[in-house]
Amino acid sequence: MITVKNLYHSYTKDDRYAVKNVTFEIEKGEVFGFLGPSGAGKSTTQGILTGLLQLQQGEVNVVGYDMRKPSREMFNKIGVSFEQSNVYNKLSALENLEFYKKLFDVPTLDPMFLLKIAGLDHVANKKTSEFSKGMKHRLTFVRSMLNNPEAWFLDEPTTGLDPAIASQIKDIIKEKNQAGTTVFLSTHNMYVADELCHRVAFIIDGEIKLVDSPRNLKLQYGEKLVGVEYKLGDELKKESFSLIDEMDRLKLNDIINNGNIELMHTKEATLEEIFIKVTGRGLQYNETSI
Amino acid sequence: MLRRILSVMSRDFKSGIRDFMVVYILIAPFLLAFILRALIPSVSSTTINIAVLETMDQDMISYLESYSYVETFSNRDQIIDRIGKTDDIYGLIRTDTGYEVINQGNEAGEGIELIKYIVNARGNETTQLPVIVKVSDIGWQLSPLKQYGANFLIVFGSVFGSMIILLSIVEEKMSNTLSAINVAPIAKFEFVIGKGLLGFIIPVIGTIGTLIILGFTQINFGMTILTVLCISLISVVIGFSIGVVSTEPIGAIAGMKMIFLPIMASVFGGIFLADKWQFLLYWSPFYWAFRSIDSIILQTANWNGILLNSFFIIILTSFVFFLLKNRIKHGLN
Repeated sequence: MITVKNLYHSYTKDDRYAVKNVTFEIEKGEVFGFLGPSGAGKSTTQGILTGLLQLQQGEVNVVGYDMRKPSREMFNKIGVSFEQSNVYNKLSALENLEFYKKLFDVPTLDPMFLLKIAGLDHVANKKTSEFSKGMKHRLTFVRSMLNNPEAWFLDEPTTGLDPAIASQIKDIIKEKNQAGTTVFLSTHNMYVADELCHRVAFIIDGEIKLVDSPRNLKLQYGEKLVGVEYKLGDELKKESFSLIDEMDRLKLNDIINNGNIELMHTKEATLEEIFIKVTGRGLQYNETSI
Repeated sequence: MLRRILSVMSRDFKSGIRDFMVVYILIAPFLLAFILRALIPSVSSTTINIAVLETMDQDMISYLESYSYVETFSNRDQIIDRIGKTDDIYGLIRTDTGYEVINQGNEAGEGIELIKYIVNARGNETTQLPVIVKVSDIGWQLSPLKQYGANFLIVFGSVFGSMIILLSIVEEKMSNTLSAINVAPIAKFEFVIGKGLLGFIIPVIGTIGTLIILGFTQINFGMTILTVLCISLISVVIGFSIGVVSTEPIGAIAGMKMIFLPIMASVFGGIFLADKWQFLLYWSPFYWAFRSIDSIILQTANWNGILLNSFFIIILTSFVFFLLKNRIKHGLN
């Protein structure tokens, strides 16, 4: 569905690359996460994949279109949701969607239906200048669904949203993916990536450091530990036990059989911990030199 | 393709009419035309009206009618009643010793003196003058204020459409909607045509309205529309080029004001410069538009002349467009 080979991009048209030798493939129906801190090259890569930035070096193929010569028709097959909401403030929510609907050559979804799933149907005829940031973001998000895209590019789809709305957005993404939509998700939010993505790529300083599924990464980089809080007499004890070490396993077994366990959880690594381990940097790191 | 072009145009129009500044731009040509019409001397204020008795010598009435509008009444009281009405009309009654001029006292101008000249001139028709007076026509067919005022309004009005383009591009930039357009299946040229259409339609409507308000109903509207479409082209190009680099509307309009200078120079240069210096204005497309509109208003235009002037406008506009093309293209990305 999406193929990227040896992609380079420099805003200054010299060897200061914002994206360096990026290569990956996304299969049809996959949710692919592009995980990295701000300035890592996520938006640059997405910009090239969606035709917003000119392809300088490398090979990029999106839904069957070579991005060296992007075709207008390609945009009938893809949807792009931006990190910053971008809607016409003097038009109502419905007018915004109706305007974009008329630009497509393919069957589109009913704007009122989209407003409903975004929870904006009650303000369909209200000018978007009166909308909150979250409402505008949801409108931008559902606008990218208008043409029922085969490939859906989402840039930080839940950033800045309250948890309830973010949860709704994630549900919509899951639902669309189950219906066959391929999703390219750029985010620095590890929880979103962990929850939604079949595979993730860690990108930093314009280079992909690793591509794998969150499960494989956790298995590979996580420690097989179980944390237990239990009462021994009046004392509350907190210990971690290795699932590999025989002694620890026996001790854990003994606590399970005889102890008064209050809390117990596996201590698998989070994507953020793995990211730090692999790249040496945190996901909130802000790169300003690019 | 047409659907997308019209969608962009109707969106811009819809968005525009929700903005006070754009509504003002839309009605400005009509307002200015009404103001100009109020300033142009009206027919009644340039024609003298005289009330006379039916018994006045018919030759004298015919003589007066060659200089004025004459109304006849059966008696003096009726004449006085007529003079008492709101408009300006003078009474002229034959007396034993000559003529009596009756006025209300609040008439504008030097009406009484004019009537005295007219009456005396008839008495002196046979007098041999000590000088030879030759009257010649220098070619004024209209009030200069009306002729050039209408011309200026039309050429100046060509900018109004491009101001709407300018504001809509600034709106797109401010709300970052250009990015969303760039990932929609609309070709760049469709977007540009859709945005640019209002830059042609609004000046054409404004021009027709201006001409009708000013009473130019007998002119060739085909030639007028062609000229307005041509001159709107340069305004549209400049509107785009300023819009794509502006980040807020007031700054954009301030930038657009730079186009006023060549318009003023072209119109006033065209009026006041001697023929031998007119070539100094040949660089300006607005000058060629001014010349076309002038001949159209005076009803001396022919298609060859209009097409030639339009050709010059398009050539000069093309030159400006090629200079600004990359800036516009880059700004719309």
